[in-house]
Parts: sequence; C-alpha cells; structure tokens
Amino acid sequence: MSLASYGKPASPAVVAVDALGPFAGVAVLVLLMHFVIGPAVGPYYAKILVDIAISIVLAVSLNVVNGFTGQFSIGHAAFMAVGGYTAAAITYFGTVKIWGGLPLVHADPQGWGLFVVGTVAGALVAGLFGLFVGLPSLRLRGDYLALVTLGFGEIVRVLLMQTGSIPDPKVIAEAPLYTLPLKLGGSLGFGGVPTYTNLFWAWLWAGLTLVIVYRLKASTHGRAFLSVREDEIAAEAMGIPTTSVKVRAFVLSAALAGIAGALFAHELGTTLNPKELGFQKSFEVVIMVVLGGMGSLSGAVLAAAVLTVLPEVLREFSEYRMIVYALILILVMLVRPQGLFGIHEVWELPVVRRLLGGRGPK
Amino acid sequence: MGLLDVQGVGIAFGGLKAVQDFRLDLPKGALQGLIGPNGAGKTTLFNLLTGVYPPDTGTVKLGDRVLNGLKPHQIAQAGLARTFQNIRLFGDLTVLDNVKIACWSRGWTTTLDALLRTPRFRAEENAITTRSMELLQIFELDKRADESARFLPYGGQRRLEMARALALDPKVLLLDEPAAGMNPQEKVALRNLIRDVRDRFGLTVLLIEHDMGLVMEICERITVLDHGVVIASGTPIEIQKNPAVIEAYLGASPVADASPGAH
Repeated sequence: MSLASYGKPASPAVVAVDALGPFAGVAVLVLLMHFVIGPAVGPYYAKILVDIAISIVLAVSLNVVNGFTGQFSIGHAAFMAVGGYTAAAITYFGTVKIWGGLPLVHADPQGWGLFVVGTVAGALVAGLFGLFVGLPSLRLRGDYLALVTLGFGEIVRVLLMQTGSIPDPKVIAEAPLYTLPLKLGGSLGFGGVPTYTNLFWAWLWAGLTLVIVYRLKASTHGRAFLSVREDEIAAEAMGIPTTSVKVRAFVLSAALAGIAGALFAHELGTTLNPKELGFQKSFEVVIMVVLGGMGSLSGAVLAAAVLTVLPEVLREFSEYRMIVYALILILVMLVRPQGLFGIHEVWELPVVRRLLGGRGPK
Repeated sequence: MGLLDVQGVGIAFGGLKAVQDFRLDLPKGALQGLIGPNGAGKTTLFNLLTGVYPPDTGTVKLGDRVLNGLKPHQIAQAGLARTFQNIRLFGDLTVLDNVKIACWSRGWTTTLDALLRTPRFRAEENAITTRSMELLQIFELDKRADESARFLPYGGQRRLEMARALALDPKVLLLDEPAAGMNPQEKVALRNLIRDVRDRFGLTVLLIEHDMGLVMEICERITVLDHGVVIASGTPIEIQKNPAVIEAYLGASPVADASPGAH
C-alpha cells in the first residue's frame, strides 16, 4: 500500500479490486498467451515463451532467498529436480496405473488433472526438501551456506543418477507404489514424460508466482525477510526471529522451484535428466537474480527473459555461452554492482518515477 | 523491586572479564545513565541484557519475567528495545519501512492474509502505517518517510533508530550513545526528545553516553563502569565529586601519587 493512501478508509470496491485484480490480470495474461499470442507466433517462439515463464518462476523464487533474505543459495536446480521428478513420477506412473498403457506423448486434457496434482505435489516435496536443507544449514553464513547448498545440489543429482531404469508399463501396473520412486531412469533421464506444459500452464504458474512473491515483499512478513538481508543483528533486536524467517524463505523458494521443475519436466523438447539440473542450471538462475538486482522482482523477470532469449540468439556460438554469461556478469558487477534495479522494482526507480510524473527522486 | 532487575551479571571472553557482577535495579519511569571510559564494558552490558551474548553469571529480569536464555528477538518482544552505537538501520529500505518492520511482532495476520490481501491484512497494514507515521512525526522524520534510510543525515539516522525501537512498544529502552556525532543544536533537541518520549510512552530508559553535559542534565541516576566493574553509582552531583570516577576518567592525581622521598 502506498504512502499516499494511508489512513484513508478504502471503499469495498477498491478493496476487492486490490485483492482480486492481480489474479484477474494473471487470467487475462494466460488466456492471451494461450489463445492469441501462442497461435500467432508459432511453435518455435511459443517454446521460447514457455522457457521464459519457467525461468521467471526460477529467478523469482530464488530471489526470495538470495534477494529478500540475502542468503546465498547456489543449489536451486536441485529443488527444481526434486519437483520435476516428483511431478513426472506422478503423471507417468499415474497414467499407467489409472488408464493403462504408455502416457501419450502429447498433451491430453484427460491428464491435466493429474498434471496439476503432480505440479502441486512437486512443490510440496521440494518445499519439504527446502525445510530439510534449510533447518540445519541456515545457521551458517555466507560462503558456508553457499557450499552446503552446492553440495546438496550435487547429492540430489548423483542420487537421481543412481535410480534404476523405468520399468515396462506391465511391470508398473503391477508394481507396488513405494518401489516406483527408485526407478526414475537413472543417468539416461526420465524419458517419455507426457508433454503437458504449454503456454497456458507455464504462464499461469509464472503469474501466480509473481503475485505471491510480490505481495509477500509488500507485506509485514516480506519486510521481515528484507530486514534479515539488511542487518541480521538489528532485525533480531527488532523482534524478528531471523532463523525462522530464513527457513520460511527457503521453504517457499524451494516449493516454487519445484513448480518450475514440474513445468520443465513436462515440456516438449526437454528431457528430464539429472545432467540438465546440475550446478550449471543453478548458476544460471543465480546470474538471473544478480543481474536483475537482488530483491527486485521486475529485475528478475527482465533478466530471466533476456538470459532465456540470449542463448537462442547466440545459438551458433552456444559453446561460448558460459563465457558470455561470465563476461556479462563481470561487466554488471563493475558498472552496477547492485544489479539492474537493485532492491527496487522498476517503477520505484527515480528515473521512472519522474517519467510517470510521480514525486521527486527517492 | 524495579522493572528491570539485573543481578550479578557477568561475562568473560577468554581471560578477559568484560563485565563482572553487574547489578542494577531500574524502577519504572527511571532515566538512568551508564557511563565509563572507552572499553569499560558498557556496550557489552547492553549486549548481555538484550541476549546478543548469554551472560555467564547472574540473572536479568524484566518485571516478573526472567530474560536469561531467551533469544534476542524474544527479549525484544518481551519489552526490552535498544538502539545501536554503530547505527544499524535497514539502509536500503525506506525510513517508513524501517519503523514498520519493528511492528511485525505485534502483527496479527498470517502470511496467507498477505498473499490474498484480505480485509484483515489491509486493516493491519493501515494500523501499522498510521502508528509508524505517528512515531516518525515525533522524531521529525515524517517528511522523509519515503526516502531510503541510508540517505538520512547522521542525526536523523540516530533519531530513526529510536523511532524504530519505540515501534516495538517496549517497556525499557536502551540507548547506546544516542548523541554520538550530533551537533550542539541536535544535542539540545535530543535532550528534550528523550525526556519527552519517556514521559509520553511511560518508558524506562537506560542510556549510554559520552557527552557528559547531556548525561548530567537528563539522567536522574548514573552508574559508572570501569574495566567491567561498577565503580560508582548515584545522582549526577554525587558522581561528579566521586574520586574513583575522576580517577577512572583522568587517571590518578600525580600529586597524591607521588610519595615523599621519590624523585
């Protein structure tokens, strides 16, 4: 709520629009993406748009930990992997168990319910992992925490590599449920996952993630997150339980990464493979957050979009991608160490505020 | 028994006994000064009271509640608020948000309220904003509520630290060198402000300060700490005449020290 409106009682209409407006906005965006933009741009650009949405979920969710609470986690891809494999196991094995036969390769409205269940389950399981990792390791600071999250990421990747190959449908149909999580395809990856992810689902989750995280940032609870980043000792002295705040941030961040993982797992043209979700993926997300500005959601969205499109543009030089990333990062750190927008949103920057005719510089 | 009752509190860092056997009995509404040379253990004592360091010995009681073993945030919520000698504001956040953060523990909404923007959430946000703006008004910071805290002038940052601590709705306020770095006019204003705030909020204030003019004028009683030990305690006039205090600050008098027969 802006300063200008404080103290004045708001009319019920304003209250309702404020509460529900963003959700309506997400609905409009999703429908526009699915029915207008998607068909207009064709499958190649539609896939890039889906990739952007997934990157947005990843960057915005990592921002909760790295940007809001100022902890440095570099194991985000592991939570993505946990969510992705959970969701894929539910849709793949679920389809075989419920309808029999192999899952269809293309999206089938029949299975959408299962996909939603899988995505939510992926978020929950990833959130649980976030709790397990967060509780012990958030007593660590700075580099030490970064190392633990890095190690966690590697452990998840190696464990997934050690799982057995995916059984035949006949075997799946008869196998007891608890044996299935041990057969996730190993180092070859989880092949044949139904491809439910499209513009509709990707942007729905991206939109919801943005609404949730932005509202968090603009609330008392989000301010508690930010205070931990700003000065942990002062935050404690102001009655903020910093450890519990950090764990909460870790769980929320992991759960949202799980959603991104579920979307990734069911995307056409990607294979759910432990190699895809290793350190390099985590690092990509960290770059998005640092580039956009630690704590800035609009910055994360912009960086996610740019860094998703960039490899497509530079497709011929794809071997040099990481070099380009590193150079961009060095350049940004030299010129603008706080990232593009710092902690602020784009509309809070002095330049933009003046353009919009608002009050003077901040 | 007073509101803040400190009994025999001490802590040692390795072989260094930073604070030893500290006793203090602050009645409600008191304005007590804590002075001593640099390194005497004043800030360490604040850290002991607010739970930053758990004391090795002794007990700290606020009213009937024993604060020993509580985490700093629990002590803050229990009603013991503090400011910092080396200013610790949330620099990138706005002046208003700095104060609002301290209102968090008095909030009544859940995260879900915030995510759905329920009427409860709006009501709380309104209440917090109104209260924070009132506090900023008292400290003459309301005009700059929208600026980042780091851009405030030094005196303003010190005042914001006090406003933020008051947003916790504390019973006892610990001020760690509130006048440090202020110019003479600001110090005069601060003097009135501390008294005014104490009366208005029914606070009990414990104040560390090096500016003797300020301490002697506003404190009703003063405790003097040197090398972690209380060397004197009393009214400002008693303290000014106390030889142990003079010695701690200025060193032993050379005349009294020189024994007859020595060169």
